[in-house]
Amino acid sequence: MESLVISKENFPEIINTIIKSYRLFAPTEENGFSGFNIIKDYSEMDLSYLNSRMPPKAILFNQTETLFLMKPGAKGSIKPKEIRNEKTAIFAIRPCDAKGFRILDPVFLGNYVDPLYKANRDNSVLIGLSCNQPDSSCFCTSFGDSPASGKYVDILFTDIEEKYLVEVMTEKGKGFVNDFSRFFSPASPNQIEAKNAKEEEAIKLIKRNLKVEGIEEKMDKMFDHPIWEEYAKKCIGCGTCTYLCPTCHCFDMQDESTLDKGARVRTWDACMFPEYTMHASGHNPRPARMHRVRNRFYHKYSYYPKNSGVIACTGCGRCIRYCPVNIDIIELMNRVSEMEL
Amino acid sequence: MEDFEPNIIGFLCNWCSYAGADLAGTSRIQYSHNVKIIRVMCSGRVNPMFVINALQQGADGVLIGGCHPGDCHYQHGNYLARRRISVMKKLLEFMGINPERIKMTWVSAAEGRKFAEVVDEVTAEIRKLGPNTKIRRKNEW
Amino acid sequence: MVDQKMLVEVAKETLAREDVKYIIGYKKGSYGFQTSAAFAYTPKDVEEFIFTPLCNKNLAKYPLKEEKLPLKRGEEEDKRKIGLVVKGCDSRAIVQIIQENGMKREDVVLIGIPCPGVINQKEIEKRFPNQSEITDINEINDEYVFTVEGKEHKIPKQELLAEVCKTCEYPNPVLYDVMIGEEVEVNPKAEYEGIKDLEEAPLENRWEYWEEQFQRCIRCYACREACPLCYCSTCMADLLEPQWIRRSVNLSENTAWNIMRAFHLAGRCISCGACENACPMDIPLMELNKKLGKEVKEMFEYTPGLDIDAKPLLGSFNPDDPEEFIK
Ligand code: SF4
Ligand code: SF4
Ligand code: SF4
Ligand code: SF4
Ligand code: SF4
Repeated sequence: MESLVISKENFPEIINTIIKSYRLFAPTEENGFSGFNIIKDYSEMDLSYLNSRMPPKAILFNQTETLFLMKPGAKGSIKPKEIRNEKTAIFAIRPCDAKGFRILDPVFLGNYVDPLYKANRDNSVLIGLSCNQPDSSCFCTSFGDSPASGKYVDILFTDIEEKYLVEVMTEKGKGFVNDFSRFFSPASPNQIEAKNAKEEEAIKLIKRNLKVEGIEEKMDKMFDHPIWEEYAKKCIGCGTCTYLCPTCHCFDMQDESTLDKGARVRTWDACMFPEYTMHASGHNPRPARMHRVRNRFYHKYSYYPKNSGVIACTGCGRCIRYCPVNIDIIELMNRVSEMEL
Repeated sequence: MEDFEPNIIGFLCNWCSYAGADLAGTSRIQYSHNVKIIRVMCSGRVNPMFVINALQQGADGVLIGGCHPGDCHYQHGNYLARRRISVMKKLLEFMGINPERIKMTWVSAAEGRKFAEVVDEVTAEIRKLGPNTKIRRKNEW
Repeated sequence: MVDQKMLVEVAKETLAREDVKYIIGYKKGSYGFQTSAAFAYTPKDVEEFIFTPLCNKNLAKYPLKEEKLPLKRGEEEDKRKIGLVVKGCDSRAIVQIIQENGMKREDVVLIGIPCPGVINQKEIEKRFPNQSEITDINEINDEYVFTVEGKEHKIPKQELLAEVCKTCEYPNPVLYDVMIGEEVEVNPKAEYEGIKDLEEAPLENRWEYWEEQFQRCIRCYACREACPLCYCSTCMADLLEPQWIRRSVNLSENTAWNIMRAFHLAGRCISCGACENACPMDIPLMELNKKLGKEVKEMFEYTPGLDIDAKPLLGSFNPDDPEEFIK
């Protein structure tokens, strides 16, 4: 790992230089909240955000994605959708959202490799930005991560007042930094120290903690516990928690067509919707909201860690912040954790 | 705009306006060919989402035809349609989608001539508005 | 301020009734400025009930969300009533549902709260993004008083009041079995001021505005799930045969969805604001709802959610309804 610095005066210029050769996604503020958008100039970027409303997951795993195109009739045809190999950089991604991709990888790059996701992933450089100011429902630290963690990004920026400390985390990151090397200079031990201080400060600001220890084993014994029904009663099944989650990855596939052409399209879906598990026969294996609410928590904290060795929750806190009825994964999981069985 | 041929979907009720259209045809009255007719049992059958769907699928205008007030074969289907469509028009107007793209008419089975006139009028008005682009599906994948 | 002691007492009495299975009210939330729905089955559960300016969720959603699982052999359906704490807007939602035959009057027992107005959740969380500690808010002399990180804040009520409350004409429950305390005074405000600018803007500018809004919609349908009046067993948006709107998320489909939702609430929406609160993309859905509310009032002299015996707007007619637009 290499530590560099870039001065804040040079910062606009490097961004505008990156834009020349990359599709650059960065946080912008629109309608009063932050979102990742392609920017054409440094001035569009807004780094005052705590975190974006929607996670940048949608950049690599599009909400609507065409899989293949078709033409009907005797001379009909099926043609896979052309894969776009666009050089992409995502700037100022938060550590938790970057970890989201680590959790999507086993799904889309596991036994079956999804060519569209793979192309997006391979062509993207993830450039993180440490959170100096976590939000009230952030809890990345519960998973041993940190608001200034570089583990899941290629390059990590940290704001150390007059400069940014730039940590190069991967080979891909190194290649990227080399392309723009004139902007960077090596970091001094003081500057590295300044980052560590920032990190410590930020960690202190995170007040909420989800007790993950032993939770998987606990859940093995709790499938029929009344707690799921208790929370399901409150849940209105709106799906916000899943659509806004950086790790949720469920999708639906539908054919769309006009008279002379059509396509198979993949769109996001979520286990909080009754249609999600509805069979063509009309049978629904998860008929009640309790089954669906339970599934969300089990998938994140039990099934997924069993299958892929990592909890499918990064602590970004979005599901807590935006749930309209205050279903709070920290509160619920801590109750599970503390429960005497 | 003058050479633009609008696509207009006409939802006509079986008992009055469709019969009116039929009469216009059998009486060999000449009128614009822009209205593509879909026969429905009653103007009250026209779910306002039909209108939206037509606009999505490429219509530039929609015409809904029913029996004159009091003559509805199902007593009051046309009154219900009138309420629904007037509310829908207000909504579209507020959203910035020209409500003039949605037309409604009362035509009886005996009014072949009126039907032809209404169609001509509607076609001319929609032609003036130009193609509808606002909520049209792109159908590009 | 609502008398919380009285609320708990009344709720206890209601729960003690033989024909009541449980009561839905509010309790403290899990962090910050949140409150949560509380389902009380026992007198002890009722002890948790609160009513504060943070009780801004519409509980009228819940009775119809109750899931009836298939009965086992020999099992009998629990026909007892659900108790519900209702503010003005919540009670109107219940009236509207009863009017539409979505439920029966005898299905619910309503504990009415004369509502002093509730806080705009998004606004207060925006102002204090780091507040994770559970915070109580008191309304004192037209100010909200609360403590954040040891510092007391006094904020004028109007600054934090939910938009819908600013123009609420019916803060007192219109239907109830018991009322907690005295009715509050209603000071009618110009209800439709908020949409005036947009109404007066040229057509193209209006479209530009909505285009930008709808472009953002992620079609999660949270607006629908939060709305007490979106209780169709299968929503038209979910139907596949026929498919009214495609699942693809793009301007055309998003607009069609938003037209559908707004239109289906015409003459039914009781302006509680739950849809807009739930929308994760902050789409100003209330502007659409308000506009339709206004038109319906002007064209048909109709106000939803006031009379359980009234006929639903779009299922009825008046031979003299306006028809200038008809050829
Ligand atoms: S959860 Fe952690 S990494 Fe994510 S935004 Fe909050 S502080 Fe940053
Ligand atoms: S955001 Fe909350 S109410 Fe909506 S589905 Fe998730 S848990 Fe349920
Ligand atoms: S809640 Fe908002 S984003 Fe979700 S479907 Fe409704 S309008 Fe769209
Ligand atoms: S549309 Fe919105 S404001 Fe109207 S009743 Fe439904 S949730 Fe409430
Ligand atoms: S949007 Fe319309 S169809 Fe869907 S639940 Fe609401 S009222 Fe019913």
